Amino acid sequence: MKQALFEAQHEALWQRVATLLADKQPSNETQLPALYRQLCQSMALARQRGYSPLLTEHLHGLVLAMHRKLYGTPLERPMTLRRWLGVEFPRRVRQEWRLVLLVCLAFWGVAAAVGLLVWFQPHWAYSWMDWQELTRYEAMYSPSKEHIGRDGSDDDVMMFGFYIWNNVSICFRTFAGGLFGGIPALFSLVFNGMHFGVIAAWLSRDPAVAEVFWSFVITHASFEITGLLLSGVAGLRLGLTLIRPGRLSRRHALISASRHIFPVLVGAALLTALAAFFEGFWSASSLIPPTTKFIVGGICWALVIGFFVFAGRGQHEA
Amino acid sequence: MLDGRLALLTPEGIRLSLTPAGPVRRAFAWTIDFVLWLIAVFVIAIAIRFAMGDSNLGEGLFLVVLFLSYWGYPILCEVYAGGKTLGKRWMGLEVVREDGLPVGWRESSLRNLLLVADFLPMMYATGLLCMLFDHRFRRLGDLVAGTLVIYSPKTRARKAAQSGEAHPLPFPLTPEQQRALIDLVERAEHLPPSRCLELADLAEPLTGLRGEASLARLRAYVAGLTR
Repeated sequence: MKQALFEAQHEALWQRVATLLADKQPSNETQLPALYRQLCQSMALARQRGYSPLLTEHLHGLVLAMHRKLYGTPLERPMTLRRWLGVEFPRRVRQEWRLVLLVCLAFWGVAAAVGLLVWFQPHWAYSWMDWQELTRYEAMYSPSKEHIGRDGSDDDVMMFGFYIWNNVSICFRTFAGGLFGGIPALFSLVFNGMHFGVIAAWLSRDPAVAEVFWSFVITHASFEITGLLLSGVAGLRLGLTLIRPGRLSRRHALISASRHIFPVLVGAALLTALAAFFEGFWSASSLIPPTTKFIVGGICWALVIGFFVFAGRGQHEA
Repeated sequence: MLDGRLALLTPEGIRLSLTPAGPVRRAFAWTIDFVLWLIAVFVIAIAIRFAMGDSNLGEGLFLVVLFLSYWGYPILCEVYAGGKTLGKRWMGLEVVREDGLPVGWRESSLRNLLLVADFLPMMYATGLLCMLFDHRFRRLGDLVAGTLVIYSPKTRARKAAQSGEAHPLPFPLTPEQQRALIDLVERAEHLPPSRCLELADLAEPLTGLRGEASLARLRAYVAGLTR
């Protein structure tokens, strides 16, 4: 069959497909699969018969666009995010309990060790920070301050913005760093733990400062440190998969591990963002008495731990 | 034939070809995005300064916008604008899944968050190395997310088959040779005239003519082949 005759025969089909593709709305065209197969057949014929490259290229474009329209339609998955956060997130964290233990050791263990050292041998604090920095921290948490934990008279909203930009970005970087065998993620956790340990121990030496400091950190730390640790878990999972892919090829193992761990990453980022709200608007206020802060902080810690221990049990895997 | 294209076999038995994009073009796209982001951030900073004065409220707002634009811009663009950030659109690139379908939230978030890993130790050295060793130019983020950056498929306008007087071929040609002939005639108008004549001269064993006359004869053959 000559090309001109072939074109005349299929012109109607191609026109219909072209108008269908031009329509950006998700169409309810039930003929889509049938049309797509006819189009595929016409392209296969055109290629096999060696019709002009312009024609086959044009048909290839149509087929590619139709392929995406037909198979690329996103599945309707109602309440995915809710299911992820309520069920999958705590379940997958529990599945990774060994890594959770490891990151807790890397953060809390290091923080406790360094903290105890500074508590009993205060001069060791100077090997991590110089005295100006330590004095600055002391001034930030002095009981006479209107806004606790800040340098000057910085506003709540400004600090909220800063915490979002800084802390969530640290979360993401920790995750990405985990890809290299987990070393950068662990390093980030150990570094943050060390920093926290030195400052906490140093400030706890003065009882007045200690009360202000601990009442400041207790509430938002429940979300912020959990978020940081879990993003470390997500990163470590990728890094360990790269080192020990199991029975899959490295690439496939990484793809499936990243799918599995993604809800944890989303949850960690949301926890850190939530922490920024508390840190900006609640923790820094000097109007709220420390006792209230300790009670609310305790409730938050109980909620976080309870969530990861109990949430999503007894539900079927999605 | 050496071919940079990637063939996907669909269930319908059709071979779809995608062309993975290399590091240089992607670096250009990244640079455009980065410059646009810098300009946007600058403009927003000035706008906030004008609207709110030199207040801490404005600064907090600015930092939130900075965060959302820095991490969110590529992800939102890829999910809602067909896999293209503005830089990629300019360079004619797009992000797709490995099976050629559009990317979703998970793929896009993963590949953009892991851009940090590709950056290490400096200036995207890891990403570049990874792209050079991968036959589809995937960086680490692409490998983990299962995505691919390709040249956007261009749709060229289809032309009607050659009109004009047809002339039979003096001897049979293989399908590949016929295709080459058709391809030449269809591309002739985009070529410089002197180059056209040179190619027509090369076809002397087929047409037995030279120059303008040979080109006209080739057109007649193609008209005969396609009509």
